[in-house]
Amino acid sequence: MSAQATTSGDGNDAIEDRGEGVAPPGQVTMVFDLNKCMGCQTCSVACKVLWTREEGEDHQWWMSVNTQPGLGAPKGWEGMGGGWQDGQPVRGHQPSREEFGGGWDFNYQEVLYGGTGNATHLRPVDHGDGTTRWGMNWDEDQGGGEYPNSYYFYLPRLCNHCTHPVCVSACPSGAMYKRHEDGVVLRDESVCQGARFCMEACPYKKIYFNYARNVAQHCILCFPRLEVGVAPACARQCPGRLVFVGSAEDAESPIHKLVHDWEVALPLHPEFGTGPNVFYVPPLAPSRLHEDFSIDEETPRIPPEYLESLFGPKVHAALATLQGELARVRAGGQSELLETLIVYRWTDLFGRYTTDPATLDRTPDRVPVRLGRTSGSTAAS
Amino acid sequence: MGTLTVAALDGEGALDPDDPAWGTVTATEVPLVPVPFDAQLNAYVRAAWTGREYGCSGPVDLTLAEQGDRLLARLSWDGSADPLGEFSDAVALFFPPAAGTAPPVTIGTRDEPVSLWLWRDRLPVQQALPSATQLVAAGPGVFRPGSANAGVSARSSRSGRRWTVVLAGPRQALAARRVGVALWDGSNDERAGIGAVSAAWTEVES
Repeated sequence: MSAQATTSGDGNDAIEDRGEGVAPPGQVTMVFDLNKCMGCQTCSVACKVLWTREEGEDHQWWMSVNTQPGLGAPKGWEGMGGGWQDGQPVRGHQPSREEFGGGWDFNYQEVLYGGTGNATHLRPVDHGDGTTRWGMNWDEDQGGGEYPNSYYFYLPRLCNHCTHPVCVSACPSGAMYKRHEDGVVLRDESVCQGARFCMEACPYKKIYFNYARNVAQHCILCFPRLEVGVAPACARQCPGRLVFVGSAEDAESPIHKLVHDWEVALPLHPEFGTGPNVFYVPPLAPSRLHEDFSIDEETPRIPPEYLESLFGPKVHAALATLQGELARVRAGGQSELLETLIVYRWTDLFGRYTTDPATLDRTPDRVPVRLGRTSGSTAAS
Repeated sequence: MGTLTVAALDGEGALDPDDPAWGTVTATEVPLVPVPFDAQLNAYVRAAWTGREYGCSGPVDLTLAEQGDRLLARLSWDGSADPLGEFSDAVALFFPPAAGTAPPVTIGTRDEPVSLWLWRDRLPVQQALPSATQLVAAGPGVFRPGSANAGVSARSSRSGRRWTVVLAGPRQALAARRVGVALWDGSNDERAGIGAVSAAWTEVES
């Protein structure tokens, strides 16, 4: 992604004052309903083809779906440190290109032009950078548990555009900032010096390094799309209709209801202390089976303690709420919560971001893309 | 430390660190110290580097020369044994404002930013990046892009662990008649404000 922003930042002097934990009124928030995610990676590919196709970006998956339980990508990211503890930043590990799984390449030349016909098959080529040894969803369908009680679920991950972004605080050059108008965390790539403290500090490890350009890069929440009323590509392309986009402060929005009213949408690893603005409806699980294969209706197949390790102690109440609403509907009742999660109309997902990109005027001088710290700053994309 | 005299060098080859003309000019040894830990402005950097040793590189042998309106600086030092790891070896020459009074150890301050000429070893995939850049430094790691047309360039050579780099730029950078040097050991993950720096300004005369 080569977008650059013009800023008037004041460098390190302001860093100590940044990210004090108050989300701007227009903070864009996302909710992923994990009960509907089928791991198709359409979101990942939608992002990939839109933003990370240039040199140095082959290993970058700003949006990726991990299979849980698993080590994820980068490999073992949950144990790499970073975030905040007692108001102080925590030292973290800078994930390497290898830990992300490198940039996968295949033997297209050999298959298509090698003259060996069907004797040669498509296979990944290891360039010594981690390819074939790890990947963005290496844990695919490995799951946990023992047959017949094995289990897995999918976890879409992207930058959390945190309310208290430790990446912004860790940037010595002042290249990173959180936009006042919508809370999107961005980086001025013309200012970034490639120090990579942001990568160390981010506890979610969703910042990548572009070695070719010597700049770090991460999800920009498709802000040029947001600015013209179009939902981010990952959300818009999701065939499962599981991604809500909007404002958590709009009391009438489904996101507000899911996060604040019903409290069934939770942040990932809240103990990291960064205040994520991406929330997840935790996965319900089928009941366990006894050894005689009769159903143990009292015990969920996904261990609650595992879900607590991901979403914190509030996950138990969230699951109880979801199960209660399911029971109500099974008994013939109505559930506004379940009606909301079903999403009969895709437009119900995206609040004010329902503009059809096909209807946009794409004349270059009419594309109102704004890049920078304030709504008044401009730059071309 | 004595005063460093700017030599006059003829010939087109002076940007070459191994050009014989440099052998006619005496280098000045510039001792370096770690950028003071207490001067690190960034809380994350302080958290990450508490108890970790850094800034042990140097000294740097510095030679200055002029060719017309160009200033050339030849810097030579023992670099890291593993020069192309996650972070690269780097060196910078920096210039205070003419009326500046701040010491060099923070590599500029908010009130007295310095102009910094930075050379950084490049990975093979980075060869399209410029050989050197001009930055404005306002504190440890508080580096912002300078003029895109600063006309700063560099060439480097390496023999064993010994780096020799020639930085070239506009002679007017030397208006304050003082320079500082900063050095980063890439194999020790040094970058931004984590590195070695001149303990005192090197005075310069023509």
